[in-house]
Amino acid sequence: MLKLRDVSVRYGMYEALADVSLSVAEGELVVLLGANGAGKSTIFRTISGLNKPTQGEVTLHKKSIGGRSASRLVKMGIGHCPEGRKLFPQMSVFENLKMGAYAVRRNKKATSDVLAQVYELFPILKDKQKENAGSLSGGQQQMLAIGRSLMSRPKVVLFDEPSIGLAPLITKQVFDVIEEINKQGTTVLLAEQNANAALRIADRGYVIENGRIVIEALGNSCWKMMKFEKPILVRN
Amino acid sequence: MDVLAQQLFNGLTVGSVYSLVALGLTLVYGILHIPNFAHGALYMVGGYVTLMAMALLGMPYFVAMAVSIVVVGAIAMLMERIVFHPLRHSPPIHDKIAAIGILLFLEALVQFIWGAEYRAMSTPFADTVSFLGITVTWQRVMIIVAAVIAMLLLQLFLKKTMVGSAIVAMSQNREGAFLVGINANRVAMLTFFISGALAAIAASIASPINLVYPGMGHLVILKAFVIIIIGGMGSVPGAIVGGYILGFSESLGATFISSAYSDLIAFLLLVIILTIRPQGLFVKKGAH
Repeated sequence: MLKLRDVSVRYGMYEALADVSLSVAEGELVVLLGANGAGKSTIFRTISGLNKPTQGEVTLHKKSIGGRSASRLVKMGIGHCPEGRKLFPQMSVFENLKMGAYAVRRNKKATSDVLAQVYELFPILKDKQKENAGSLSGGQQQMLAIGRSLMSRPKVVLFDEPSIGLAPLITKQVFDVIEEINKQGTTVLLAEQNANAALRIADRGYVIENGRIVIEALGNSCWKMMKFEKPILVRN
Repeated sequence: MDVLAQQLFNGLTVGSVYSLVALGLTLVYGILHIPNFAHGALYMVGGYVTLMAMALLGMPYFVAMAVSIVVVGAIAMLMERIVFHPLRHSPPIHDKIAAIGILLFLEALVQFIWGAEYRAMSTPFADTVSFLGITVTWQRVMIIVAAVIAMLLLQLFLKKTMVGSAIVAMSQNREGAFLVGINANRVAMLTFFISGALAAIAASIASPINLVYPGMGHLVILKAFVIIIIGGMGSVPGAIVGGYILGFSESLGATFISSAYSDLIAFLLLVIILTIRPQGLFVKKGAH
């Protein structure tokens, strides 16, 4: 469904990604593991059109999408829940969710259906729908960011380190919801440093280091390979 | 007491014009981070288009104002496409230099076409009205009413429409806006159009009580920058409240201190705000 073939991204002289190839099949939950600065977010930004690949090809359903604008890619079915959440802090929870459906805003019935589903996944968001996003706790903001990324009814959704800075109980809740989203049929690509929690729900995993994919394996095998080859990532 | 009421009304009039100009400036700054020094030139062109539509084409005042809104909005949009859009990945200083270039170009162009002399704009609201012990022209009442209507319509547009909300979203988190599918180019053009339209309205309502000339935007734009620094760069409520704060301060200062110092008051306020609350009244610390 989603494929990156030999993708490289440069920031001036710095090579952030070097010949990255990965694929996510329809309905899969694939995890991308790596330390800070390894290149996980750059991969996500390249898929969702925030970065342009300097070489290589990104395809969605065999159609090349590398270099298209982020707004176009949302319409094509890519959802992105970014690192740092990127919410609209002075807008209410409801307004943030409504903006999540901006690209598909003409289909009002579908939008209200997805809104109901998001409120079902995160009942706290319904309780706090009139409060400003900036006033929510970190965990609630993360839930809102996840909810917002689902509002455009994406075919594939990218979750960039959704557990960062969250308490263990909230982290578990967030991972449960991501698993549930995947079970409902949405393809998921998840970037994480929390290898334990991520590989527990993943079909397959990739490990990225210094902008290069160094391990690709099924969930369990990935865990075993990492234990021997990248123990530092497994410890957390 | 009458003098105080008269000066408060004058403050309201001047503040309304300042707020409109500052609103356009702060919208562009808040969303695109461009300090548009050429905004004063848009104000000046707005005054000329209304004046010439009335004088040369014989249009009624409000029709001329509508033409001015469309023309200046379109010029602002062109400015964004031709100058600022190609510079979006350049260092910020390039935007500033380009804005000054546009300001000089538009002033020279207007001077070339219509000359440098001061011109008066006629108005259908030249009669006076007395209330609460003060006497004012209907034009001054119209300035306040028109400015408040324009500000309310802008607020309604930003709050109640999806396109308006897209502008607000982009001002709050640019990358977040891209990720929900907001088209950056369309928002940039629309923001510039609104900014130009607001400048045209401000110039069209203020020109009958001032004069129209190529340099009429200089002091207005300087004060608009002071206002958005007082209110907080990029803050819509900050621009509105800041405009009225400056209007009242100038008006009362001119009466109770000296009219010779009225223009100085803006810069005195600037120094005070930069000293005690550099982020402005309506922006949280570190927001920009």
